Amino acid sequence: MFKSHYKLERYSIGLAIAIIVVASIGGIVEIAPLFTIHQTVEEAPGMRVYTPLELAGRNIYIREGCYACHSQMIRTLRDEVERYGPYSLAVESQYDHPMLWGSKRTGPDLARVGGKYSDQWQVTHLNNPRDVVPESVMPAYPFLKETELRIDDLPEHLATLRKLGVPYTDDMVANAVSDAYGQAVPDSPQAKGVKERYGEATDVRAFDGDPGMVTEMDALVAYLQILGRLTDAAHKQEAVTGGIK
Amino acid sequence: MTGLEHETLVAIAKSWGLFYLIALSIGVLAYTFWPGNRKRFEHAKNSIMNDESGPWE
Amino acid sequence: MVSTLTMNERHIALVISSFVAVLGLVLAASGRHDLLEPHGFLILLAGLAGVFVILHGYFDPEPGPERLSSYFDEPIKVGIVLAMIWALIAMFVGDWVAWLLAYPDFRFDAAWSSFGRLRPIHTTGIIFGFGGNALIATSFHVMQRTSRARLPDQLTPWFVLAGYNLFCVLAVTGYLMGITQSKEYAEPEWYADFWLVIVWVAYFVLYLRTLARRREPHIYVSNWYYLAFILVVAMLHIVNNLALPISIGSAKSYTIFAGVQDAMVQWWYGHNAVAFFLTAGFLGMLYYYLPKRAGRPIYSYRMSIIGFWGITFFYVWVGSHHLHYTALPQWVQTLGMTFSVMLLVPSWIAAANALLTLNGAWHKVRDDATLRFMMVAAVFYGLATFEGSFLAIRPVNSLSHYTDWTIAHVHAGTLGWNSMIIFGAIYYLVPQLWKRERMYSPALVEVHFWLAVAGTFVYVFAMWNSGITQGLMWRTYNDSGMLAYSFVDSLVAMHPYYIARAFGGLLFFIGTAVGAYNIWKTMQPIPAAERTQADLPVLGELSRPILQAGE
Repeated sequence: MFKSHYKLERYSIGLAIAIIVVASIGGIVEIAPLFTIHQTVEEAPGMRVYTPLELAGRNIYIREGCYACHSQMIRTLRDEVERYGPYSLAVESQYDHPMLWGSKRTGPDLARVGGKYSDQWQVTHLNNPRDVVPESVMPAYPFLKETELRIDDLPEHLATLRKLGVPYTDDMVANAVSDAYGQAVPDSPQAKGVKERYGEATDVRAFDGDPGMVTEMDALVAYLQILGRLTDAAHKQEAVTGGIK
Repeated sequence: MTGLEHETLVAIAKSWGLFYLIALSIGVLAYTFWPGNRKRFEHAKNSIMNDESGPWE
Repeated sequence: MVSTLTMNERHIALVISSFVAVLGLVLAASGRHDLLEPHGFLILLAGLAGVFVILHGYFDPEPGPERLSSYFDEPIKVGIVLAMIWALIAMFVGDWVAWLLAYPDFRFDAAWSSFGRLRPIHTTGIIFGFGGNALIATSFHVMQRTSRARLPDQLTPWFVLAGYNLFCVLAVTGYLMGITQSKEYAEPEWYADFWLVIVWVAYFVLYLRTLARRREPHIYVSNWYYLAFILVVAMLHIVNNLALPISIGSAKSYTIFAGVQDAMVQWWYGHNAVAFFLTAGFLGMLYYYLPKRAGRPIYSYRMSIIGFWGITFFYVWVGSHHLHYTALPQWVQTLGMTFSVMLLVPSWIAAANALLTLNGAWHKVRDDATLRFMMVAAVFYGLATFEGSFLAIRPVNSLSHYTDWTIAHVHAGTLGWNSMIIFGAIYYLVPQLWKRERMYSPALVEVHFWLAVAGTFVYVFAMWNSGITQGLMWRTYNDSGMLAYSFVDSLVAMHPYYIARAFGGLLFFIGTAVGAYNIWKTMQPIPAAERTQADLPVLGELSRPILQAGE
């Protein structure tokens, strides 16, 4: 009795093991090589990381589910390159935890939207999209302008990302709160440190038009304005290959 | 993982998958059409048609 | 509920509930001033509710040893009710967001009511709430029947069901507050993910323990599919959700994967959620309930085995077809495409097996709406898998990707296949579990069927049209070699289709509401005289004629 019972157990556990083995091979074969991909893909030595303010904006983008309607991945197709700009490279999202390539374009691709519109346009558009694009079906986000941005936990955000391989320096982690404030309040003493740490080209301005309070609008617009501009690798690549034939 | 070259991994992925696929297909077909299994499959297929009388004790 | 537990089980349940309550309190305390705080309190509340329910029924008489000679069906009943509640919520939200795409201001002026926060409520509510509860409930039913064995204890099934729904509630309430990982179909944050792992392990062990109680050596094939569902979903869930919380007091975490690796992991997860949550488990359902309802054994048991290994093997390769023409290396894209096309073989083996089973029983399909739900499910399964393989071909994908065609495809699967087979199974189960002669109103089952079919067709055709129109407009050039349409032009062209889609969704939702009403009425206590064989399980379908619709 005991023996036959034991045999039965073995049969179902054997089935379970067979399922795991058969189902895991494909994933291992496809995914494992991607962890050595840095050996082959294009490099972007000058690529900078997100500033704390941009990172906070990125997290608002995630929170509001923007990725459900906007992709950030320009495919290697002629019409996409002509509509949105040079096709996206793997290296451009190397620091993106998680990636936000998206899967649906109810709205347009945003991979290279940075710098395409003015801050003023972005703010008006986020406040009520139909004020600038009457046909738009995007939700209005009037509360962003009124909500003060939470910046006190940004050092923890940066430190966590550093553990995962994003090259934030000790200096960046230690000054995350001050940098987030300074980037949106250009006249403040904190503003100077932002360019020191993240480069001269970093946008430092009152993104929401009001230097008084650092709002979620500041953060989100700062993020949108940097999209596609962390590295110029894609533009260089295009110059080499001449875009898509 | 660090010791492995990307090219090597890709080559393994590209070739090995095919052999694995063939081996697995043969294994599954053999199991399915193994004459000795015929009876238990027939039994299993029909046994669900009358299973409401409660658990066997 | 509590009366089904032995005294010993009541004590363990009390310990578990108290533990959950304490856990919630700890999270609430450590997550003060963070979005984690409300969720901590929600978990505390869930634990306290558990304690209350158990104490309330604590002095109920214990179940006697005679329970061992019957199947344990109470959790199945609750699972069905939960599945229907989730269906109503998630379909309502789904239709609401569908209207939002036609009329974007049709919402409250509040952060929580934007499309971006509501949409994951729809997807999670349908996949995990509706689909997951239906899978758990039917698997409890199928594992007992096919093993001819009662569930090994009374507590674990309740724990699995309650714990799983706690996960779903955490997920959905989180989105409203803005807690999300942004990983599609895996949005819940680290603590909810962690909890689901615990529940899932209990579920798997419960399954193995039930199977271990069976007497015959062979395990019926439905169980294989359910086991693949449980195991592979566990694997996918754990890998895809590997993340580092920024602190123990914060709801926010960062996934350990970045960029192209994250994309591959996410779609390896995403497509296999379709494969093993929405396909494997549901095929388990199909292979049991369709033969039962048709009163005929499955056409070919061998086909079901070949199909099983084919699906288990092929599906895991295909996720990369979501990333055609992207920065993912091309050889991975090609692998994904190739296996997607090959996947059609096991998929159609399953669909054909189901339809061939009905050969010779078409008169039953004509007369019995419950069986017709299952038949339509098999047809849509065949259609959706064909479309899936087609869309995975690179050039086709260049047109269809990012457009509503994908939405059409997904809904052909979820409305046409998943929902239909669930409703078929539920209409089979409800009279049997509540020991009724038939559903409260067979006519309403017919009404539900036609609303569901009509809604699916309107929805899918609207989205096919809009998707193809969109894809073509984006790539159309004018005579001077310039892109002919702006993005906004394509958006304007979508408007009528978005209205049609929302209308199709509304039909489907109304059908579900009719079904819920019918189920609710069937559950109501009836005079003893009308009951079938009081406390004995209903005999197999073979021993009595299939109910004729409209009788």
